[in-house]
Amino acid sequence: MPAKDKKKPKPAKEPDITFFHPDLLEIPADGTAPYLKGYKCKSCGMLDFPKQNICQKCWGEDFEVVSLSRRGTLYSVTDIFIGQAGMETPYIFGYVDLPEDIRIFCQLEGEIGSFTCDQDVELTVGTIRMNREGLPIKSYKFKAVDVEAGI
Amino acid sequence: MKILRDVYIAGVGETKFCRHDKEYDVLGREAALMALRSSNIDRPDMVQSAYVGNATNGLVSAQTVLKGLGMCGHMPVIGVESACSAGGMAVYSAIKDVATGLCDLSLGVGAENHSLHMQRGTAFAASASDIETMHGAVMTGKYALRAKRYMYETGATKEDLALITVKNRRHGTHNPYAWFKGEISVEEVVSSRLIADPLTLQQCCGIADGAGAVVVASKEMIQTLGIEKPIKVAGAVVQSGPYHNRPRDITGDDITESCAKQLYEESGIEPEDVDIVELHDAFTIAELLYYECLGLCGKGEGLAYLRDGKATHGGECVVSPRGGMLSYGHPIGASGAAQIAENVRQMRGQCDGYQVDPLPRVSMTHVTGGGLSGTEHAACTMHMLVSDW
Repeated sequence: MPAKDKKKPKPAKEPDITFFHPDLLEIPADGTAPYLKGYKCKSCGMLDFPKQNICQKCWGEDFEVVSLSRRGTLYSVTDIFIGQAGMETPYIFGYVDLPEDIRIFCQLEGEIGSFTCDQDVELTVGTIRMNREGLPIKSYKFKAVDVEAGI
Repeated sequence: MKILRDVYIAGVGETKFCRHDKEYDVLGREAALMALRSSNIDRPDMVQSAYVGNATNGLVSAQTVLKGLGMCGHMPVIGVESACSAGGMAVYSAIKDVATGLCDLSLGVGAENHSLHMQRGTAFAASASDIETMHGAVMTGKYALRAKRYMYETGATKEDLALITVKNRRHGTHNPYAWFKGEISVEEVVSSRLIADPLTLQQCCGIADGAGAVVVASKEMIQTLGIEKPIKVAGAVVQSGPYHNRPRDITGDDITESCAKQLYEESGIEPEDVDIVELHDAFTIAELLYYECLGLCGKGEGLAYLRDGKATHGGECVVSPRGGMLSYGHPIGASGAAQIAENVRQMRGQCDGYQVDPLPRVSMTHVTGGGLSGTEHAACTMHMLVSDW
């Protein structure tokens, strides 16, 4: 038998992710607005984000998924000029506080230098980084509230 | 920790901090050997346990450091990792062995080569799989968020933050182990390259390599070794960062505050009794916040404490007398051990050209570790030392 036939076929490589992450972010197929998924413990009622496998307060394991507020307040923000290896700069990140008493670390979509502490921001979806195949990974981001849209 | 019997530091060692072409284990051995020799230890089988802190240099780093000193084989050698707290935690672990009576002589080392294998022009992120890291978090940026909020709430300016760099570089001017040192103006600090707004290059610790080492001994062993200036461990605390995804005040630092509280309680020493402090000044804003978190001044008084010269020679407490991380650079797992080494040298009056006067009798160290989502820091390690002669 020729040597090459002895070779085991290489298993097909799993493609790297392009979405981060179905447990965190829902983009409804019907075109309605995307939302972050909060996890409410069915035993003690504690609401948390991101998803926990076990409730930190009571070790309950059953959760109700609730949609979190799309608007929040930007607690603090920074423009990054030296970033993580492999990430294009500049980019912007910050903490957004939601009315549900939850803080989200996220990238912000908008102009460098345009954000200030305590401004209102809203959820959007965009590219946070590239995956190992060079394709964009989508996730939640926040942006300034669009005043002109009259929201 | 509850210290069950008297524990002392016999000797310390450190390398110069800068970019080294030497691997971390070579640096670790240099610091360890200096610490061992200065403790009058002249053969490899005297030490009874050892801990080596390292964050990024791979597996079995502790044994890699110590096998070359003939110190593997007769005793437990344990690697310690908690990012920037690793070196402090290694010393803590050595203290624990002696405090509990497990052994009479233990060694804590922190060693890191952070630059040798790192891509230039990139920033450090503490945990690759973390949700914040996935979204682009880097430590520079996490501290920039604290700075931005602090400035927003207090009206502090970039120039105020720059004063920390100016002070610490001045402190380190004549320290042979420090890297970036000497005069630098506020203008030079604020006009240097922007890294993460509002933090400029000269407000960030350098990505450096180095090592520190500390020999820990029981009272009997101190006498056997003939140590003339024993430094007593008055307190040692390690805490893990409380996890929650709720809004928290990042102009404070929950883990540093609770760690300091425990250290003061266990050592019976009050903040006003502390003569010198080496703290986690990885970025200018951090030192400013930690004046308050460590109780050196009240909440909201950090800026005045700095401006009024209370954190420098002739003030209330000399903060970062070695020059801090802003002078040394910050080889992640090495810094905690080097801080302790420098405080011991200060208390023994061995810091020619940068000696605190009068001779400090009480010193404190503080290193946090890791920016993990839902925590301010993953870890915090603090030590309180007093001179005992």
